[in-house]
Amino acid sequence: MSRSAAGIGALLALIVLAGLAATAPDHLTDANRDLAFAGPGLVGPFGADELGRSLLQYAQQGAGVVLGPAIAAALAVALLSTAGGLLRCAGDRRVEAVIQGLGEVLGALPRMVVLLVSALLIPSTERGLLPLALVWAVLAAPGAIDEAAAVAERLGGARFVEALRAHGFSRARVYLYHIVLLNLRPVVVRQASEVLLQVTFLELGLSYLARQDNQSSFTHSDSLKSWADLLYMGYTSIGLGMPTGHALWLGLGLVAVVTTMAKLTTTLVRAR
Amino acid sequence: MTAWWIRPGVRFFAALLLPFLVPAIITALIWALPGDPAEIICPPSTCGGTSELAARWNLDAGPMHFFREWVASAFQADFGRSWRVEQGLPVIDLLTESLPITLKLVGLALGPIFIGVIGAATGLIPSRADGFFSAVGLVPALVFSLLGSAAIVVRFGSNAFDMEADRWRLLIGAVVLGMADGAFAAAVSGVRGLVSAERNQRYVSIAVLRGERTLANMLPNVMPALAGQLRARVLHLLSGAVIVEVVLGLPGVGDLLWSGTLLQDFGVVLAAATAFAAISGALLVVQALVEVLVALHVRRTPFVEGA
Repeated sequence: MSRSAAGIGALLALIVLAGLAATAPDHLTDANRDLAFAGPGLVGPFGADELGRSLLQYAQQGAGVVLGPAIAAALAVALLSTAGGLLRCAGDRRVEAVIQGLGEVLGALPRMVVLLVSALLIPSTERGLLPLALVWAVLAAPGAIDEAAAVAERLGGARFVEALRAHGFSRARVYLYHIVLLNLRPVVVRQASEVLLQVTFLELGLSYLARQDNQSSFTHSDSLKSWADLLYMGYTSIGLGMPTGHALWLGLGLVAVVTTMAKLTTTLVRAR
Repeated sequence: MTAWWIRPGVRFFAALLLPFLVPAIITALIWALPGDPAEIICPPSTCGGTSELAARWNLDAGPMHFFREWVASAFQADFGRSWRVEQGLPVIDLLTESLPITLKLVGLALGPIFIGVIGAATGLIPSRADGFFSAVGLVPALVFSLLGSAAIVVRFGSNAFDMEADRWRLLIGAVVLGMADGAFAAAVSGVRGLVSAERNQRYVSIAVLRGERTLANMLPNVMPALAGQLRARVLHLLSGAVIVEVVLGLPGVGDLLWSGTLLQDFGVVLAAATAFAAISGALLVVQALVEVLVALHVRRTPFVEGA
């Protein structure tokens, strides 16, 4: 696929998700049992839930829950991995050793375990997806830093900087343009896209599991609906034969939009 | 040149440290957060008798006291009693019941991954299949688990909780865990990249010219990296086990950890997290042992006839 096609596709997916998030209502509309389980087109474009409320609102609220924290986590990983790559070029062995040691320890812990412990310790008033997404970003950072540092190492590390400085380029230009923009970009953006995807899946997983146990989710308030609610509702169409297949398809479709956006972004910035 | 034993030595040290590090970090976090530690663990809005719990859990005499007492009890396999998940039951009993299920699940999930690793290393799995595996790997574990759970319900109906269904649950869980979230795809592409980079080394070409086998020559050199990759894969599986176990209804440590977190059963969460850390520590030991064995093998003086 060409870069421009990938770019247009990723942008369209982002616009769809941002549009959903920006228009998300604070609360679902009032119930209308006459329209329970109405199919797509009868109540909004995607049909209705068991109380006759439009599933479009679920999609909008779910996008609002997930989009901001996922982008924040992606940016955090992008920043940390860029810093890792630049540090390798700066050639400070002590700082590198400290980062490597921290990475070894963080990398040795199963991420979900750390995340659940964090969810337990975060005060209930502060709960939301953002702190969990940032914890996930910190846990994902060592791998991203390692990869960015390996790219910087292949460039020649500190010798690469010296060589370009000898050609008369300013330090800022060498670091920001030659290293970050030209060389680290594919790795950094790919890692950030992966984390964006992982945080989305994480939200789905945590909300689904909480929904299954009839408990409040760690990721959003009880007044909001997540895409996991769509999957949960849709699952009953397979397991119990309820007429909720449209919810399942909508949930899977939204997951596909985020996955496509992440993959197209990676294609857009791939190395030449 | 760095001494060969430093890296495995650091891993051994980290492996010993890890089971203590997890409770230490949790302890530090509890006391670092604003508010009374007992109220963080057991908020008065959701549970009564906070002061009694604080005394029972040694939360009333500072972080060092709490940590020391917890480690001392843990050494005697005493993790206290559950106060929410299975009220009154010793946490060690819950752990010993759930640990074998998680180990079975992860062990079975490693099956397809091992096949993928061997297939990629020997070239039996062609590189053109990578696209397919990575597309399958894009599907999150939750979605695969839901499909698996639905398949169990459809296949077994009202008998969905009998022994036969449990066996199927475990098998489906293992396949889901092994394939979803890119586990299989990452294992195959990682090993393929590693082996193909090594295959291009000059010593391999020379070995081929001498009539020696490529894989036998490469193996000692790629083994430490392979062990590292496999450790990362197992950690990935352990992490994913939480979702798979809960959705498929497998009562493993992941399920226990989730229930503990959801019901704010601090004792259960602390013990389950420590169990995961101990498994991770054991993996570090295995990796270090592989590195030591490889280092001893490549440093062994070769036998030269007539010398």
